[in-house]
Amino acid sequence: MSEYFTLKSLEGLLEEFLAGVVKVKQNRLSVLDGINRLDDISRMSSDGHNINEAIGEWFAEHNQWLDKSVLKDIEIGRIGNLLENISFGISKDKISTPEKRKLASEIDRWNNLAEKTPKKVVLKRHGETTENPAANTITMYDNHLERALNLFKDKAGDKKHILSVLDDSLKSAFTQKNKDALLLSGYIIYYLKLDGYLVDPYVKRLKEAEQMLKGKKADV
Amino acid sequence: MFNQAEKAYCEALLALRNKDYRKASDCFDEALPQYMNNKEFVLLMETNRLLLAVKDRLAKYENEEIEIMEAFAHGKETKLL
Repeated sequence: MSEYFTLKSLEGLLEEFLAGVVKVKQNRLSVLDGINRLDDISRMSSDGHNINEAIGEWFAEHNQWLDKSVLKDIEIGRIGNLLENISFGISKDKISTPEKRKLASEIDRWNNLAEKTPKKVVLKRHGETTENPAANTITMYDNHLERALNLFKDKAGDKKHILSVLDDSLKSAFTQKNKDALLLSGYIIYYLKLDGYLVDPYVKRLKEAEQMLKGKKADV
Repeated sequence: MFNQAEKAYCEALLALRNKDYRKASDCFDEALPQYMNNKEFVLLMETNRLLLAVKDRLAKYENEEIEIMEAFAHGKETKLL
């Protein structure tokens, strides 16, 4: 049964992914669907079918596109071409009716939109950036201090004396080749030294950890 | 006008929106020749294909479960008599 539950979980995951993609594309998809339907109507018109009702419904549903700027230039161009084709199909029948006149006026309205949209070429480039090494080093040091403080808080959590924290920090620096732990150990040693502690053994371990870190860099 | 592959890709996306994965699969297959180098298209098509395979496998499990349940019910019925 474990395979069953794994499959169920995978099914949910895949459905969620596909739904997410569709959601991201929702706006474009509704435009694409609308143009696709207009394309169908245009084909029906070319085949000599009466499309008055279908195109009337299409206008009723998509007139909101005229007010909102949902269409891209290329889509407006496509709609314009399809409407031109439909208009040609309607005008082939010489008999004028109120319905046909209304459709012709709607088509003109849409074609006006296509004409109003200027054809433009947009050149894009990324904004200029200047390298500021000083700012980078300040940010890097700031980040390091934050990481070192978090490390100190982690290690100090269950300890009773700063020397235990130093011992743990030196172990991390040595075994994990952790630069933040190495620097944290250095701060603690200097702090203790200023307070009169004998720190020679710790300094020796600090140097060994430093050698380990350098060795790691050399490996890289 | 849209060509057949463009229409099929559009239909596939609409089928995905309606969670009609079988129809989406047919539409993806139809659009494939034009979009086989489009990474997004291939990702969606293969994900959909995998999902259908998972669903088929799950359907087998669920059918087996139904058979077991029926056998059990039958057993109970004979006991009750």
